[in-house]
Formats: sequence, structure tokens, C-alpha cells
Amino acid sequence: MDAASHPRNEPSRTRSVSSWREHHGWSAADSLRRLAARPFGSLLTIAVMGLALALPLAFCLLLGNVQQMGRALGQDQAINVFLQPDQGESQVQLLAKQVGDRSDVAAVTVKTPQQGLDELAKLQGFSGALDALEQNPLPYVLMVQPKPGLDAPTVERLVGDLRDLRSVAQVQDSGSWRQRLDALLGVGDRVVLALALMLAVAALLVVGNTVRVDIASRSEEIGVLLLVGASGAFVRRPYLYAGIWYGLFSGILAALLALAIEFALSGPVAQLSQAYDGKLHISGLPLWLLLATPVAAAVLGWLGARLVSAWQLRKAA
Amino acid sequence: MIQFDQVSKHYAGGHEALSQLSFTVPTGEMAFVTGHSGAGKSTLLKLLGVIERPSHGTISVGGQNLAKVRGRGIPKLRQRIGMVFQNHRLLMDRTVFANVELPLTIAGIARQERGRRVRAALEKVGLLSYERQLPATLSTGEQQRVGIARAIVGRPSLLIADEPTGNLDPQLALEIMGLFAEFQQVGTTVLIASHDLPLIKRMRKRVVVLDHGRLVADLAAEEVL
Ligand SMILES: Nc1ncnc2c1ncn2[C@@H]1O[C@H](COP(=O)(O)OP(=O)(O)O)[C@@H](O)[C@H]1O
Ligand SMILES: [Mg+2]
Repeated sequence: MDAASHPRNEPSRTRSVSSWREHHGWSAADSLRRLAARPFGSLLTIAVMGLALALPLAFCLLLGNVQQMGRALGQDQAINVFLQPDQGESQVQLLAKQVGDRSDVAAVTVKTPQQGLDELAKLQGFSGALDALEQNPLPYVLMVQPKPGLDAPTVERLVGDLRDLRSVAQVQDSGSWRQRLDALLGVGDRVVLALALMLAVAALLVVGNTVRVDIASRSEEIGVLLLVGASGAFVRRPYLYAGIWYGLFSGILAALLALAIEFALSGPVAQLSQAYDGKLHISGLPLWLLLATPVAAAVLGWLGARLVSAWQLRKAA
Repeated sequence: MIQFDQVSKHYAGGHEALSQLSFTVPTGEMAFVTGHSGAGKSTLLKLLGVIERPSHGTISVGGQNLAKVRGRGIPKLRQRIGMVFQNHRLLMDRTVFANVELPLTIAGIARQERGRRVRAALEKVGLLSYERQLPATLSTGEQQRVGIARAIVGRPSLLIADEPTGNLDPQLALEIMGLFAEFQQVGTTVLIASHDLPLIKRMRKRVVVLDHGRLVADLAAEEVL
């Protein structure tokens, strides 16, 4: 004969490749048909997975907007530099120019003692007290506007440099809140990352469990396939495609949910923006992230199906 | 050629299903394995398909030691063995055509060639006109014939069948056995497990008799009365 020495079934390589591709196509279509055959269960899996994936996207959206607001508001925050009282007008102007020439400074405005007094006078309850003063006790103040978009340490360094100037009495650093916000946002980044990882694992488990149930319900068929000579890869193929479909659809769902949240946020942010001279805009999720989500989810689905099917087929073999 | 050399099989917790079994089936021969229920017939066939492994001894098929067949070698081996089961084991949600096509798809045969071979196999078992139907719409005998078509479509050099006529009336059973005899005539080695002694006698082929896992008789075709 013989079975081993005369492999009559050995196909030529080109045939093999085209039929291999054909089986991939068949597996993809067949797994999709099976998903559609029990819509409720499939939708449930996709919904759970989609929600799990939408959560980190929503956090990402929130974080992006808080960051953007922080930056927008930060631009309003000038550093107030109070000079020594003995400074004359020309010295002050010279200093203002020096500071203004720094690469990390956008603009310097000089506030004269008279201007300071006028401002105080406008504040209720001060006018009477000021009238009692014989001479203006207020110093010159430089209002230093850092370049927009500087990070907290750079602004910190600027503040330090200003404080070290000889003619400076005091620096009022309004940047500490920004530092705190930056720190908070840094934590937020980590939280989003951790959340994304956790929920990705959750999505993996959801797909894995769905595929596990699927395989268990078709153990009879799998047994037959193995008996007529199917390899593990052949048997597994439709389940891997099922995982890919679950992932892809849930990723699309997650992206749509994120877009819906973005849309819902845009109203309140627009209102907020008016309060800040239109400086705020909703910062949406970047397009690449929205497109990458279904792809990443499909990979997750494949991975979940792959892990579970390998484990379950080892039991069946 | 099938060769069993001092083969024993203990199932976990069970007694010895096969005990120091030695026999040879030359290429192109048709043989029956018989014995009462529990004699070890199914176990013997499962060892050939590497569905079970022997506890002791050596089995070789076509000169290949089955102990050395592992991992990816197992599906490759099964592609070269046609297996027929008592309860046909067809996929009930696929057409007759798709069921018979399965081994060819698995072997990576191109679509056109598959169609040709599936029709040839269905024609051989007399079911060509049923190709688009689901197995459930067929009678038990027809389902069994679909199972046989699936077993032979890959042109295996070894055909094994476990009680292939167990559910059939005597006339149908004889027809099925006739089919197997035809495959033998074109050079296929055929090994059939059956406890249907009257049927076996009518076939006039070699008979290996098992009792409690031991070989108790090995009758050549001409010795069968
Ligand atoms: N999977 C198994 N686990 C344990 N014992 C088994 C298993 N399969 C068969 N046996 C035992 O092995 C013996 C032979 O069984 P089997 O090969 O099925 O015999 P036959 O097919 O001749 O009826 C019987 O005693 C049976 O109970
Ligand atoms: Mg049996």
C-alpha cells in the first residue's frame, strides 16, 4: 500500500495555498453566519465588550479636555513680580526689557504704582483707606506672561530666575495650581492606562468565554473534524474568526459610544468656552484612536479565541 | 500492511481491553475483527487511528511505527486512513456534498478537483442525486453510505470501519459490506469490526476473533464456512 509510503492526498503547493485561502474565506463567512444565527447572544457579547472598551476611551476624552482647559486657563496666569520699592522708572523699564527678552517669556507688562493704586481704589472698601495715605506705598510690578505651552518645571525655573533678580522683592507664582493640575493629569494618564489594560483583559475574558461556550456546544463536530484528519489550526480557524468578528464589532461600538459622549460633552464645553472668551474648544478623540480601537479590539478578540481554543482543543484531542 | 506486535491496552481504571495481540494484515487484504461486545474490537480500530495509544507493544501501518506519530503527524496519518463509524458521525448541518468534501478540504485539495472527487465517491455509493440534501433527510442506510463516501473520497490506502452495519437491516448490511469488498478489489486494505457473524460468514473474508482482548482465532478466507 501504503498509508505512509504513498501519500495519495498530497496536494501541489499552489493548490494548497489557494485552498488554504479559500478555507480562510469560508471560515470568516461561516463564523459570521453563526454569529448572525443567534443574534441575541452575539449582541450581548459585543455590547459587554464594547462597553468595556468605551470606558477607557471616555476617560481619555475627559482627560484630554481637562488638559486642554488647563492649558487654556494657564495662559491667563501671569507671574506677578513685585520689585523693590526703591526702583526708578527707567531701571524698571530696563528690567522689563531684559525679562521680556527671555526665550521662555511671551510678554512683560509693567504696572506702575499709580496703576496699582487705581486698581485698589476700584475695589470696594479701599478708597477711604487709600485717601489717608500720604504717599503711594505700592512698588512697580512686572506682569510676566510665560510662553504658552510650557510645562510646569520650565515655568518653575522661570519663577526661580525672577526671584533671584536683585531688584525683585517678591514673586507671586500663580503657577502652583497649574503644577498641581499637571500632577493630577499625570495621575490621570496612569489611571487611563491601567483602566485600559484592565478592561482589555476583561474584553479578552468575555470573548474567551463566549468562544469557550461555542466550542463546547460544537464538540461533536470538532470530534468528527479531528477524526477525518483536520489539524488543530483547521479546527480552530472558524473560532478565531468569530473572535475577530466579536472584537471588530465591539471596537466599532466602543468608538461610536466615545463619539456619542464627545457629542454630549460639546454643549457644556461650548458654554464654558463663552465664559472664557471662546478660548476653550472640545478636544475630541483623535481620528487614529477611533480607527485603532476596532483594530485593537479585533486583535484582542482573536487573542481571546486563540487562547481558549488552544486550551480546549488540547482537551478534545 | 497493518502489523500488531504484542499489543496491550489498559484503560485507566479498567481492565485490559487488549492483551498481547499480534497479527498482520497484508496490503490489499480485507479482514473482519469479531468477538462479543467488550472483546476489544473498537479499541483495536482506535489504536490504528491514533485515537488511543497502546500501553505496550508496537503497531505499524504501512511500515510506519504509530508510536512515532505525534503532533502534526496525527492529522496527516488520519488523512490517509478512511474511517467509518457505526453512527455514521456526519455533520448534520451540512449537505451530503459538504460532508463528503470535508477530508478533501482538510487535505487542501483545490475546489474543482474536490467537486470531481466528491461526485465520484457519491456515485460509487449510489447517492449522487442526494448531494444537495441534509443528512437528516436520508434513511439510516443512506446516511451510512454517505459516511462511507466520506471515508473513501481521499483515496485512503487503509479503510477501517467499526460496526458499519450495526443499525441496518440484513439486506442493507449486505449491500454495505459489498461496497467495502469493492474497495478492497481496487487495492485498499480494509479492516472491519463487526459482531454480526452470519453476515461475516457470507462475506468469505479473513476473520480475526477476539475474546476479552485476546486473539482466540484467526481464520483465513477459505476457512470461513
Ligand atoms: N474509554 C474507555 N475507558 C475505559 N474502558 C474502556 C474504554 N473504552 C472501552 N473500554 C473497555 O474496554 C473493553 C473493550 O471495549 P471495546 O474495545 O469498545 O470493545 P468492543 O468494541 O469489542 O465492544 C471493554 O471492557 C470496555 O468496557
Ligand atoms: Mg465496539
